[in-house]
Amino acid sequence: MIDKFKAKFVEEAQDNVRDLEEALLLLEEDLGNRDIIERIFRAMHSLKGGGAMFGFNDLSDFTHHLETIFDLIRNDKLKADQDIISLTFNSIDHIKFILETGNLESEEDKKEQANLIKEISKYTSETHPPQTETVKEDGVPDVVQDRSKTYLITLMPDAEILKNGTNLLFLLDDLHALGEAVTVSNYDKVPVLQELDPVKNYCSWQVILNTKEPLNEIKDVFIFVEDECEIEIAEISEGNVLSHPKLKELVEEAVTQEKVLKKEDLLNIDFDGQKEAKAAASKKKNIFKDHKISSIRVASNKIDDLVNLVSEMVTIQAQLTLYAENSGDPAIVALSENIQKLSRQLRDNAFEISLIPIQNELMRFQRLVRDLSKEMNKEIDFIIEGGEIELDKNIIENLTDPLLHILRNSVDHGIEMPDERIKAGKSPKGTIVFKAFYSGANVIIKIQDDGKGIDPDVIRQKAIERGLISKDIDLSKKEILDLVFLSGFTTRTEVSDISGRGVGMDVVKRKINSIRGEVSIESEIGQGTILTLEIPLTLSIIDGLLVTVAENQYVIPISNIEKIYSIEDVKISSSFNNIATIEDQQYSFLNLREIFEEEDISIDDSQLILVKYEDKKVGVIVDNVIGEYQTVVKPLGRFLKKLENISGASIMGDGTISLVIDTNRLIYYNDIQKYKNVK
Amino acid sequence: MAEKQLTSILSFNIKDELFAFDTDTVRNILEMGKITRVPNTKEYLVGVINLHGNIIPVVDLRNIMGVKNIKNTKDTVIIVVSNDGRTDSLIGLIVDGVKEVYSLSDDHALLETIIDNSSNTMVNISFKGTLKLDSDFIHIIDQDDLMEEIEK
Repeated sequence: MIDKFKAKFVEEAQDNVRDLEEALLLLEEDLGNRDIIERIFRAMHSLKGGGAMFGFNDLSDFTHHLETIFDLIRNDKLKADQDIISLTFNSIDHIKFILETGNLESEEDKKEQANLIKEISKYTSETHPPQTETVKEDGVPDVVQDRSKTYLITLMPDAEILKNGTNLLFLLDDLHALGEAVTVSNYDKVPVLQELDPVKNYCSWQVILNTKEPLNEIKDVFIFVEDECEIEIAEISEGNVLSHPKLKELVEEAVTQEKVLKKEDLLNIDFDGQKEAKAAASKKKNIFKDHKISSIRVASNKIDDLVNLVSEMVTIQAQLTLYAENSGDPAIVALSENIQKLSRQLRDNAFEISLIPIQNELMRFQRLVRDLSKEMNKEIDFIIEGGEIELDKNIIENLTDPLLHILRNSVDHGIEMPDERIKAGKSPKGTIVFKAFYSGANVIIKIQDDGKGIDPDVIRQKAIERGLISKDIDLSKKEILDLVFLSGFTTRTEVSDISGRGVGMDVVKRKINSIRGEVSIESEIGQGTILTLEIPLTLSIIDGLLVTVAENQYVIPISNIEKIYSIEDVKISSSFNNIATIEDQQYSFLNLREIFEEEDISIDDSQLILVKYEDKKVGVIVDNVIGEYQTVVKPLGRFLKKLENISGASIMGDGTISLVIDTNRLIYYNDIQKYKNVK
Repeated sequence: MAEKQLTSILSFNIKDELFAFDTDTVRNILEMGKITRVPNTKEYLVGVINLHGNIIPVVDLRNIMGVKNIKNTKDTVIIVVSNDGRTDSLIGLIVDGVKEVYSLSDDHALLETIIDNSSNTMVNISFKGTLKLDSDFIHIIDQDDLMEEIEK
């Protein structure tokens, strides 16, 4: 059980850390910004508190020290500077480490923590003279503004109320439980003892209550007695005015003289400083705004489940529609139409839920660029546009590594050292622009640097050295640049710590392709490089072309399809290579019957689908084209994930299964020799 | 890794032999229906089925066990299991018929399985032991091992 809470804490702590990093990056731009400092302090504070509560003692202890720095900054006793920010970044890395490992076990880790604490205490132990001193200006007690309100509640129960077992004192207790309250009792109606009927009520009360609860909460207290009481609830002021001298005076008077408090008297009190307080309150509200719960945390597998259920429902709904149409019963047709409308909306909503803004990941990128450029003594401006763009979370998960790699490349190979840049007549500060925007059903991400660019001759030379192309082959500039996506290609002979982490551009390309995206590169020597990623909004829905091969139905993503030809219009020659001649153009082609190891008989009315592959077109022969079909792609699970030609499956309206062909992979795996052939 | 205590098993037959899975891992028992062939897969992987909107691979356990001349009868069923309880790990296994669920108590000692037909089977199959119930011998398949072999 406690482990569950711990896991929850770690999850939340990681959010806090992310927030912390983001705020620090902002602080770096704007060192004096109080809001940001406040935000940092808050994040640290919750880390500290949570850490202690869940047994992360090292975390709590460490964060305590760190927090002290920002407490000093917050109170103007210390000024934030680059060193503090760098130290804090290092500390955050340490916090991340603790969150991953739990408490520190090894001596080495403990030493590191001790070192960091020592660094930190340099700032906290020095006595910094306070730079500004806040002096309270007036002697009037502040009206405490915390979005609470003060009410005057007058409760006059009927004489008979005790007969149904109501304990009136409980009501008063309930009121006191809502906030801070002062009660004035009126018992002037109590008769002399001989005349007193013990089952009758003679008292009434007035309560001045300060509470943050809404008026309804107060009314709820009286929910069972409202018929037997006279109840009056009046708002007398915003904020807590209970300690206001004039109010106190009135209450005192009421108690000693057994008077009833009058609403008007209370309202007439001019609560001093009210106006300023109100202004302060509205200011405070702004800070409180980001505390409002506008989103909830849901485990991602729950969303996956929801999306799956909705997909299933959409499928079944299609069956229902079919049934309704066949039945001809207008009532059922009408019902099924309504359900269709609803399920479509539900589907759209469910898919929208699984979209998250790329903003969340951008922080890591910013951090990477910052750290790398500091490490390599390069000056880099990292500009982000379109961070609000939303993508399916599964896509974002697959996108992060490739993007990190691309950025590493830009910092490591792209942007030159400041002196080199000056020599080249550029500003010493390099720029990397990260831009994301929608384009139809795709999102386009461009990463552009103004560095030295890629020299096609160098690439060409390298490719020849590695035996990727032959010496005498004529390639266009674009073709040469595309060579960097081939496996086994890297321009640096020695593996540098930064870019050479085993991921080359070929892996970037494969990863992007695996989420049905495309990546392309443009570069000008001396001017910089642009990498463009084109990524589908969601993985789970595609527009496909339904085709048949032997017994089976397959779906080919329409975005990859160029044109469909009847086999009669195509001249096929398979003597040496599979070559199809269409309208005076030659294309290589794949016969799906052959690839799928089906009985190889020629079908008279088979069709050739011309699909895009990189910058070429390749023909794919199928038995028959059925038509367009919008479909939900489902994963094949752990036992079939290694399939090369099939990337998923989709359930048709009648419950049967169509397999989804990923033409990029199909051609990649079956035509992998193409550069070797050129040789 | 600590082995989970077997508390109950689902027995089924392939040809004349009885085998069993851990009942806790069994999700469904389905009649044979249309199975969509998936190209470029191993012979025993007969295809995929649609179970409540999930795509589930189906392997023919008879084929894995090395049975020749496989024939489907009205008793032939697909047992759907997930070893780790995840949807991602769901897999259907075709057997000649299911028999019974037995509850295992502590005094059910497992015998060592003496079946060794690894020369015939498509993948290496290991057993957790054999249970003798009256005149029946039930061989309990090591499912984790089987799934790993299939996943290879």
